[in-house]
Amino acid sequence: MPPIIDRNKCVACGFCAEICPVDCLYLDKAAKKLIVRYGDECWHCGACKQDCPKGAITMRYPLSHMMLSFPPDKEVAK
Amino acid sequence: MIKVRDKIECCDFLVVGGGMGGLEAAIAAASGGADVIVAEKHNTLRSGCGANGNDHFLCYIPEIHGEDMELVLREVGNTLDGGPWVDIDLTRVLLQHTKEVVDRWESYGINMRPTGKYVFEGHSLPGQQLYHLKFDGKKQKGCLTQAAKDAGARLMNHVLINEILVKDGRVAGAIGVDISEEEPEMVLFQCKAAILCAGMGLRLYPQQNPTYMFNLPGCPADVGSGHSMALRAGAKLVNIDIPNVHAGPKYFMRGGKGTWIGISSTIDGKPVTPYVTGKPSRATGDVTADVWPSVYLDKMLDGTGPVFMNCTELDDDDVEYMRWAFDCEGIGSIFEYFDQRGIDIQKEMIEFGVFNCTMNNVGVEINEKAESSLPGLYAAGNQVGNVRGNLAGAAVFGMLAGRSAAEYVKTVAHQSIEDIPLVEEKKALFSAIWDRVDGAHWKEPASTLQQIMNDYAPALKPRTENLFRVCIKYLADLKKLCYTELMAENSHEFMRCLEVLDQIDLGEAVAVTGRHRKESRGRHQRADYKFTDLTLNNKFMVVHKDGAGEYHMEYRPRHMR
Repeated sequence: MPPIIDRNKCVACGFCAEICPVDCLYLDKAAKKLIVRYGDECWHCGACKQDCPKGAITMRYPLSHMMLSFPPDKEVAK
Repeated sequence: MIKVRDKIECCDFLVVGGGMGGLEAAIAAASGGADVIVAEKHNTLRSGCGANGNDHFLCYIPEIHGEDMELVLREVGNTLDGGPWVDIDLTRVLLQHTKEVVDRWESYGINMRPTGKYVFEGHSLPGQQLYHLKFDGKKQKGCLTQAAKDAGARLMNHVLINEILVKDGRVAGAIGVDISEEEPEMVLFQCKAAILCAGMGLRLYPQQNPTYMFNLPGCPADVGSGHSMALRAGAKLVNIDIPNVHAGPKYFMRGGKGTWIGISSTIDGKPVTPYVTGKPSRATGDVTADVWPSVYLDKMLDGTGPVFMNCTELDDDDVEYMRWAFDCEGIGSIFEYFDQRGIDIQKEMIEFGVFNCTMNNVGVEINEKAESSLPGLYAAGNQVGNVRGNLAGAAVFGMLAGRSAAEYVKTVAHQSIEDIPLVEEKKALFSAIWDRVDGAHWKEPASTLQQIMNDYAPALKPRTENLFRVCIKYLADLKKLCYTELMAENSHEFMRCLEVLDQIDLGEAVAVTGRHRKESRGRHQRADYKFTDLTLNNKFMVVHKDGAGEYHMEYRPRHMR
């Protein structure tokens, strides 16, 4: 579940966990590792991605949140 | 045993929730000389529905709209910031103070004129007076947080408030929990006044994808705890018997429908209302989702759906403008989704759906100073029941509350709180949840609660006496089970447990008040009382609980002037 942490960039500063509006991220201080602890509680607001000082976070939108798109049916319009 | 902080946190004015209303209240009260603490469940930099931004600020500016504010007031009444469930006198107070707040926000560094001048767009009927100031709210929480610090307010992040303590008929303090570490810590607050700014009541009803409880139009942290605390403290709530519904994209639920530049259309691309035909404009978009949010369900049920947001007539400039506006609004995730999944909104329409009841703009009854019926208790924002204005409403009434509280706290003394029985009761409850080794994870009752509310106090289906009766019984059963079975392994889960208990209280109040309204009105459709009782026109139902836990309902006239 989102967000996705790039381990090569993340320095485990914990700022994303500090500001997450739903507290779904967790900084394991002992292991110095940022964990997506409650991914199913993510709101997909993207605050973590926007505020990450290292650009280490990307958002993935789960298939449960699929958007439904459909082209206007011109045949029906006729 | 639950850990309890030795020190009682003391202040004049306690702000519960560091959103728009809470931070404005903190700034105003601290500027007025009050000692202020802001208790925020997460972090004021990115908490609540305004976490990532907003882009429409309801605003009356005389040099733009003319000297006659009543014309704007009338237009507000026709659209989403008005409607039949607001007091007109409070809406007037709101409009009178909006420009002042816009100026304050500019002074905090919030970009209220991203194009260099005041631009009004969205949420309005074509050809009518536009009154939503288009601004860039991406940095709003950071700016407001800094302004609150500069004013001298003390910010306590990762501290939730669970109870308002009342003594001798007025606010004396609060019970909170510090969730910043793995083990929760109970914290007592002593204060002379408090403001509830805890937002709307999401997660009480299931949404389009119940499996993912946090797939929501607003911030999932806003669960109606402020409504519940006010109710338990004895303050009056208003209009919670009337369900509100909202609309937005399926199945990625996100608010901000006014920022879409598109037309609500059927499968053939034709508009479902006459408001906009041809190419939608940046100025007005399509107000259909505001004024008829249930259209997306209504037309599914009558066989003429689904209904889509149709942006296929937009040119490239408009699409880029919309992308920018979504970022300002804090819903840039939607465009990121389009990019990742290759959705071209110039070729495909996006289906919209109805959002089930969010308990938004129903709740605490306030007056022109944002005071509730309980002395020393204020409220602002989405948890207020008799005035709207959304973002602007939160900011204006937060500011007015802060000013009023700064004066009020000079007139009353602190009261001791340790001897208030609720303190020991809560300590016992917290300890029971925290000490339990085997038991119920919070999601168990949370999902049952949503099912009960949707089945027996529904917002989108008919309601009946029998449904309400069983609802009240089932919720009492669920609450009892929670008291004996809830458990938490860390402070995060502990927070969720307390949220569920708050939600059960709010759900009970919804059922009790819905049962009391023996007529059909708005989304409160009674299968057993199909008529609309005309003697209840322009009357609001007010509810409060007494010290014995009994509900008292009364109808009072809507303030029409």
